Amino acid sequence: MNDTATWPPMRRDAKSAEFFEAASRGELAIKKCTDCGRSLAPEAMVCTDCGGSVPAWTSASGAGTLITWTTVHKAPNPVFAPMVPYTVGVVELAEGPWLYARITGEPRAGAALRAEFVHPAEGESYPTWVVTSGQ
Amino acid sequence: MAATAAIAGLGLTDVGKVYGRSATDFAAEAVRLAAADAGLAITDLDGLLVSPGTKGSPKLSLQKVLGLRDLRLLAEIHALGASPAAMIAAAAQAISSGEATAIACVFADAPLREKGSSREAFGTQRSLPSGFASYHLGIGAITPNLFYAMAARRHFETYGTTSEQLGAIAVGQRGWAAHNPIAQFTKPITLADHQSSPLIADPLHLLDCCLVSNGGAAVIVTSAERARELAQPPVDILGWGQAHPGQIMRQGSNFGLRTGAAVAGPAALRMAGVSVADVDLLELYDSYTFTVLVTLEDYGFCAKGEGGAFVSDGKLGPDGSLPCNTGGGQLSSYYLTGFTPIVEAVVQGRGQAGARQVDKKDVIMVSGSGGVLEHHATLVLSGASA
Repeated sequence: MNDTATWPPMRRDAKSAEFFEAASRGELAIKKCTDCGRSLAPEAMVCTDCGGSVPAWTSASGAGTLITWTTVHKAPNPVFAPMVPYTVGVVELAEGPWLYARITGEPRAGAALRAEFVHPAEGESYPTWVVTSGQ
Repeated sequence: MAATAAIAGLGLTDVGKVYGRSATDFAAEAVRLAAADAGLAITDLDGLLVSPGTKGSPKLSLQKVLGLRDLRLLAEIHALGASPAAMIAAAAQAISSGEATAIACVFADAPLREKGSSREAFGTQRSLPSGFASYHLGIGAITPNLFYAMAARRHFETYGTTSEQLGAIAVGQRGWAAHNPIAQFTKPITLADHQSSPLIADPLHLLDCCLVSNGGAAVIVTSAERARELAQPPVDILGWGQAHPGQIMRQGSNFGLRTGAAVAGPAALRMAGVSVADVDLLELYDSYTFTVLVTLEDYGFCAKGEGGAFVSDGKLGPDGSLPCNTGGGQLSSYYLTGFTPIVEAVVQGRGQAGARQVDKKDVIMVSGSGGVLEHHATLVLSGASA
């Protein structure tokens, strides 16, 4: 499950280019409402709070908390057969938004997480999340 | 409340591993069967509501396939697993307003291919996506199994719910399925069987997950008065409600903890003029065992967080005090999204369920759920014949 080259490659499009570009630099890019200041998920196209229509890219700290997770035993698609078991979960960023993410380490509710960046041979760089030993 | 609309006809095609027919073929057959069941000619229909399957069919063009002319109501209604209940509610309103007088509501799907597995039927990516969709595919976060597993895990961690408690739901429904001639799986299972069935996505085992089926189902909705002159015992439509919380995935989200059922259920009961204490029979959308558990909590059959303890004594099964998913449900019988619980509600409401027939059917509560617990529709039906 550590052979990152075998995961399906990610490709940027206009809406995700900054997210993947930031990941290539080892940074986590999210959105922020230019009207009310609410932090938003990277894919947000409008502010889900005030309705502001032009969220801007901003940098997130890369710190998060594990909300929930699943360890996948049956590959959801034959492509993932070599990777099972693997764990995906919901990360609550310190800034508030939730992200679906691949998780490494022993998952537990409320665990502190830290973003790490994968730079595969093929496709875009992207964040994964590691359970830190602290909490 | 006195019902103004009723379900007068039911059509169910062969379901399961039935090959060589398109979703539209199944839909057309289901409508014809439903009309005949009601004692109506196909030309008596003046309304048609269609819910498309996974490939986008059946569509509005079903009208022409069936040769229906001069319809006064025709629409596609798509709210994922909530569609069938939403169609029946819309039909009941059209009957009440006089917009139409005999309305067929139909769903059909044909995701299974002859040599494909169920998993491939819904899970294959035809071409690699780009953008954020490629992020989700690239981290392996695809298919409903994983998202429902994350919903269930959150409930487990928050309230102490256990896999064994989910297992009690699966065991109870299989007990009912044993008495349903059309159920795909009828061999009784034990809690140990549930626990030893393969883990799909922790905490969900194979026996927590629904089937995948080809087939179609339809009902005919007409006025409660007219239904009493037709061929079958009427099943009155007493109440309905929808809820689509539009939960945002961020700090404070109720994902996995609370669903639209908490709004739609009480609304439907209120319209019907009854409470959960009056409910004789439950037919709940059961894409996963967990869907049943969280719906029971949200409807108010037990307190939030106590669903696990509530179901663990087997009260939902054939020997229990609260009959639920008496046809075996999507877990054991067949999967036609929201029509699986509706079909069984109609069969029970008419008193035609044979060995699995329940004694009391005055108030039947039916749920439909779509997306990952994102869309909810409730019906309150009654099989009390007048």
